[in-house]
This record gives sequence, C-alpha cells and structure tokens, in this order.
Amino acid sequence: MTRELLEGSAAIAAAAITAGCRFFAGYPMSPFTGLLESMSRELPAAGGVCVNAESEIEGVNMVLGAAAAGARAATGSCGQGIALMQETIAEAALNQTPFVVFNMARNQQDYFQCTRGGGWGDYRTITLAPKDVTEAVAHTQLSFHLAELYRAPVILYGDPLIAQTRVSVTVAPQDHGPLPERDWVLDGTGGGTGKSRQVWTWAMGKATDPGPGPDRHWRAVADKFDAIAATEARFEQAHVEDAETVVVAFGTAALFVEYVVEQLRAEGHRIGWFRPVTLWPFPGDALAAATTGARRVLVFELNAGQMLDDVRIHAADRSAVRFIGGVSIAESGLAYGDLMDAPVIRDRILAALTGGAPA
Amino acid sequence: MERELVVTGVGGQGIQLLAKTLALAATREGRYAMLTADYGGEMRGGPSRAGVVIGDAPLRSLPVLAAAWSAIVVHHRFSEPALARLRPGGPAVVNVPLVDPASLPEMTVYPVDASAVAKSVDAPQAIGFVLLGAYNAVAGAVDPESLVEAMTELLPPYRRQHAPANARALAAGAAVPAVPAGARVGATS
Amino acid sequence: MTREQIIIDTSGPPSVPARKVADPRPSLLLGEHSLCPGCGEPVALRLLLEVLQELDIVQRSIGVVGHGCYGSFVRIMDVDVLQCLHGRAPSCATGIKRVRPECAVFTMQGDGDMANEGLQEVLHAAARGEKITCVMLNNGVFGDTGGQLTATTVLGQRTKTSLAGRDAAAHGYPIPVADLVAGLQGSAYVARGAVSTAGGVAQTKRMLRRAFETQLAGAGFSLVEILTMCPTGWFVPAGEGPGYLGGSLEQSYPLGELVT
Repeated sequence: MTRELLEGSAAIAAAAITAGCRFFAGYPMSPFTGLLESMSRELPAAGGVCVNAESEIEGVNMVLGAAAAGARAATGSCGQGIALMQETIAEAALNQTPFVVFNMARNQQDYFQCTRGGGWGDYRTITLAPKDVTEAVAHTQLSFHLAELYRAPVILYGDPLIAQTRVSVTVAPQDHGPLPERDWVLDGTGGGTGKSRQVWTWAMGKATDPGPGPDRHWRAVADKFDAIAATEARFEQAHVEDAETVVVAFGTAALFVEYVVEQLRAEGHRIGWFRPVTLWPFPGDALAAATTGARRVLVFELNAGQMLDDVRIHAADRSAVRFIGGVSIAESGLAYGDLMDAPVIRDRILAALTGGAPA
Repeated sequence: MERELVVTGVGGQGIQLLAKTLALAATREGRYAMLTADYGGEMRGGPSRAGVVIGDAPLRSLPVLAAAWSAIVVHHRFSEPALARLRPGGPAVVNVPLVDPASLPEMTVYPVDASAVAKSVDAPQAIGFVLLGAYNAVAGAVDPESLVEAMTELLPPYRRQHAPANARALAAGAAVPAVPAGARVGATS
Repeated sequence: MTREQIIIDTSGPPSVPARKVADPRPSLLLGEHSLCPGCGEPVALRLLLEVLQELDIVQRSIGVVGHGCYGSFVRIMDVDVLQCLHGRAPSCATGIKRVRPECAVFTMQGDGDMANEGLQEVLHAAARGEKITCVMLNNGVFGDTGGQLTATTVLGQRTKTSLAGRDAAAHGYPIPVADLVAGLQGSAYVARGAVSTAGGVAQTKRMLRRAFETQLAGAGFSLVEILTMCPTGWFVPAGEGPGYLGGSLEQSYPLGELVT
C-alpha cells in the first residue's frame, strides 16, 4: 500500500474511518481542530455523520447516543474541552457505552485528567499515548477495538506534535481479533416485546426483568476495570537489563528521550528508557521489573510531575526516583515550550547522572 | 540516510508551500518524509519555519529537529533559532539580497536572487519555488519532475492556473549555477 | 372536516369494524408507576406510549430519558431506552437519530432537566432541525428533590426555595420553553398541552401524535411541552392538583400549538 503525506490529524481521521467510525461530533479547539475538520470532510463520503457540535458537552453526549445506538463513534478536544466532557465519560464508563475520545492536547498536563478522570464513580479510562503519527494511526484503530471489547470509553492522548506533523504514512486496516456480541445496542426493535433494552448507569432493569441494580452493577464495572488493568497494560523499553539509570517518559516526549538515551548509550552510559504506551492501565509491573537493577529512575514529562506519581508507586521502593521534566509551554499557549528538545533533555539527563541539579 | 532541511523566513513568502511540495514529492517517490511547521497566528509577516526530513527508511528524526543538514533561508528575520541547529558544511540556499550570505559562515552557501529569477521567467509570485528548485539541484533531494507534480497536486483548483509559472520558477531556480562556499555574490539571473 | 361528514349513519350495520382506540392498560406498560397520587407524569407517559402504538412505531422507537421523577418510567416502559445525564437528552437523541434515521427518537425530560440543566441542548437541537421529538413534563418544580424552584416556576408560586412565592426581583422570571423553541427556524412542530383536564388530556395526545408524525415525515424538530400536576411539590392535596395547575402554570403558559 502506498504511503500518503498526511498531517497527523488527517491520518488519525483516516484511521478512525478505517476502524469503522461512522459518527463524530466535536467543537473546534486548537490543535484538535484539524481532526474535526478532517472528519467533517471525510466522514460523509464513508456513509457517516460528523456534527459540528455547539459545545463539547453536547458533542460528547451526541457521541454517547450514537454509540448506544450501535455506531462506532468518537469525539475529541484538548484538555480544557475534555474537562467539560468528564461527566459524560464517567457516565459512559458506568453505563458501558463504548466510544473514543481524542485528546489532541496542547501539552502533557492532562495525564491526571486522562488517568484519574474528573467524573464520579469507580471508573477508569483506558488511555493510549502514541509517540508519533504512525503509532497514532495504529492506536486509533486499537482504541475503537478496546472500547468495544470492554464497552468503555477510551482516550487517545495526542498532542500538537502528533496533530500537526505531516508524515508519509499508510493507513491499513488492522485485525485485533473477535469482539463480543452487541446484544446491548439500542435499535428500537425491543419495543413491545417485553424485552426492550436499556442503557442505564443504575442498571435497575425493567419491572418484569429486574437488572442487577447499582450495587451489583457498579461492583461488576469495577471488577471489569481490574481485569483490564491486569491484561491491557502496554509498554516499550530498551537497554534496561544492565541500566544504572532508566528514563521514563510517555507520548512524544518518550520519542525525544529514546533519541537522547540512544546517543548516551552509544557514548558508553549504562542507561535505558521505559515508555508506558497505555497510561491507564499503567504498566507498573513492567516498570518495576525494568528498574529492578537501576540505581536511579528519571521521569521526564512536560508537566509539573504527574506520571511521576505512578512511577513512584512502582519504583520508589528500590530506586531513587527523580523528576527531570517540567511545565513548558510556547508563548501561544498552544504548543510545547523549549523543554521539548533533544539537547535540553540531554543536558537534564546528564546533570542527573552526575548528581547535579537539573538545568 | 536521513537528510534534514530547515526553511526559515516570514509569513507570506511561500515557505510552508515549498516545504510541503518537497515532502510530498519525496512521498510520491515512495520514500519517507516528515514535515514540521511552525508559524505564528498571522498569515503574513510573522515567523514562518518548516522542517523537512527525507529518508529511504522509517525516519528517526524528531519532530523538533535536534540538528539539520541543510537550509533554505528566505528571510533573515526570525531565522536565528533554525540556523543555530545547522551542521557545518551542509548546503544553504539563501535568498539574496534579503539575506546576507556571510551570515552563514560555516555552511556551503548558494546565493539565489529569487525575486530577480522569478521575475525573469514571468513568475514573480513564485520566489519560494525558485529557491526550492535551486535547493533541489544542490541537494539532489528528489527528481525535479516530482517537484513539478507535487506542486501541481498541492495547488487548490482556483490556483491551478499558476502551475506553469511555478514550474518555470522551479526550473529557473535549478539552473542557477552553484557558487563556491563563502562567495559574496549577488543576483545570478 | 365538516359537521356533516362526522355524523354517523346508524340506519344499517357499520361499514367498517369497530376500532379499538385505547386499552384500559396499554401493553407497553410493564408495571405500575411509583409516583405520588395526583401526579400528572404517568398520564403523559401513557399518552406517549399510546401514540407510539397508534402510529405503529413501537418496534422502531428509542427513548432518551432524563433525570426527574419520570426517570423511574425507564423500568415500566417497554421501549428501548437510554437513560442519560441530566439535561443532555436532546444531544443523546441527536446521536441516536443521526445513526438510526429509521427510528422514532424521543426524549422525556422535566422542566428541571430541560429548562435548567440543559436549556442550550434543546435550543441547539431545535435550531439544527434535528428530526427528534422532545417531550417536556413541566410542573414548575423539582419534584424529585421535594419541590424547589426551577427555571419554569411561575411568579408567585411557592416552592421550598421560594417560600414566599417566586418574586421576579429575587428569582427572576420563568422561562417559556415552548415559546423559545417556537422561535427557532429548525422547529417544525411545537405545542403546549396540559393533562389537568379530560379535554387537555385528549388535546395533549393529539399534540404528541402530530409531533411524532412531524418527525416521521422528516420535517424537522418537534417539541411538546406538557403541563403536569405535582401536588406533592406544590404542597396541595392530590385532588387539588388540576385546579392549582389551571390557576398557576396555565396562566403563564397558554395551551395550544405554537408551530405547525
């Protein structure tokens, strides 16, 4: 299959449509806007619908409705707009409606938002953090699969470097395996049969066919997320076997860290890198294994230290965990600042290796 | 091998289009390309920079280039950060007389009076394509015909009539003779 | 229809068999409602279900139910239902309708749900001309939480958060939702009925029927605002609900069709 030169947003849109997405609703916000524009341009030709929603709240609820009616559906925004969607993301986790949320964020400050969420109840959101456009294309298709497999909303956490970089890329359909029967979909045919369906967070069922109710239902949902945590954690790593230092980073920042660590490795440093591919579930066991022999674990992320919490949970009992990232925003507020740069990251890692204070 | 190009200038000079043309031409040749763009909110007058990486295998370059092999300097304003990343010795096509060739002492500089060249082939709007044509002649990045095809493909329907002029600009740029590094010559039309 | 046409000729046997127009208990009800005596919402539910049956769209109807006392209807209505977040039903219904255009999609919302929490939802859905039918059960109070002031509480109405009656100086003015929606170009059918009298019940049912017919014809957005009794939230005896409605809500919210 020939490669096309596509902006990340357009590549993700193509991947979503390839994955069967047929309903999209969103509200413009840079750098998510490109994805909304791409979907609005491409989805109708694929037999789908893209609604330019009047607000993020309306967009995500349209998507919840479309997904409850059986369509593969998605919305997106940036951290600020995703904040408005939190109530609905939590609701969908609890009433088990699958859809995908593209957080084409302005930076890495949404780690807590993605992994902890701001809605109510015992829920989690599977969050994939691709390192580049090519992986974002793969993750987009995986997101729709995981959403449907687990009947839960899935977040793809991108950023300006993914949304706005153009690369030569192929969008080929992926096969992630079989999916469960969709007997829960609201299609209207249940009416008058005594077996009409309901999508309901409280899961009380019908008078003639009672459901589990909130207590049993919410415990079952929590158990489901425990099962996801046990099976769906994904990660990448290199050179950790003999590493004295392991640098942990996610998303595009991990691409930069990988670049710098490979340089340092070639220069003789005993250093490796570890990248959580899923932010939730966090690959904690894998990180613990990767850092077993390490003296120090460095955490690089473009925020004030959010993933740092997860790294500490899994590595702080053996290794010195040190934060070498920080908040770094462009003047425009819409993109990364100077910290997302290989020479700067190299300086920070070297400073940590020699015990000095980060620059 | 991966070759990196930084293009720097101000908004309105056609920088994003020339960078996109090169990246698309490489992609159409079946190679790998990455195009990063960095421009202010303004359509004209603000900083406009682009990075293009071309390779024969999946690329390892970062979307914020750590270093670059070559440059096209369309305007000296805002160019400092991009030029600071250049590896010495690589080719740099500079738009004279707007840009002083002496400002890149460590590069192999190819001065091109893009405005004069563009006017000489009756394509006064196509300064960017003159510079791209010259760069491609020096760097051997892609087949010149690929550039013409990519340029034509990228033009929106309402600008298709500019394709022949742009093609002339690409060819005229490519015909500008190479000048030794450090030469401080002016127009070469 | 002229008066002559509706006079029935009884000189011979009927030319068409007798038609059953209503069951004492519609088959779409799976059980008894659990709301207070004198509540108007179960009446509205019954009218809605009867209309679905009469239009023969039961097996292609999807309801979206908001949050209020009527939320418990999810358990007794034999229709595919999404129970959605407070105020968001018009957006959810939009998503459903856009991917299942063959279905009749409706919302059931209260005044707290539609006029307070989600006013922009219904206005935007109407402006887009979504081919859905929104049903607003308007009793002017938050019934589910025990009778507090909503955006549609009428001036002078006593609630638990306006004990001396709604005073415009303190609480502002009530929102006439049907009138707002009627002013939008995407609205193809807008009406306001009441279930406080026998005539009102019959009229409201006709309104619901026309609203669904509008949707099925693909003409645009339809809304029926239904004034319902809430004697508990109004702090009046159950039997006095209809009279109270006539003297309060109905005075501020005139009944009738606003857009046809």
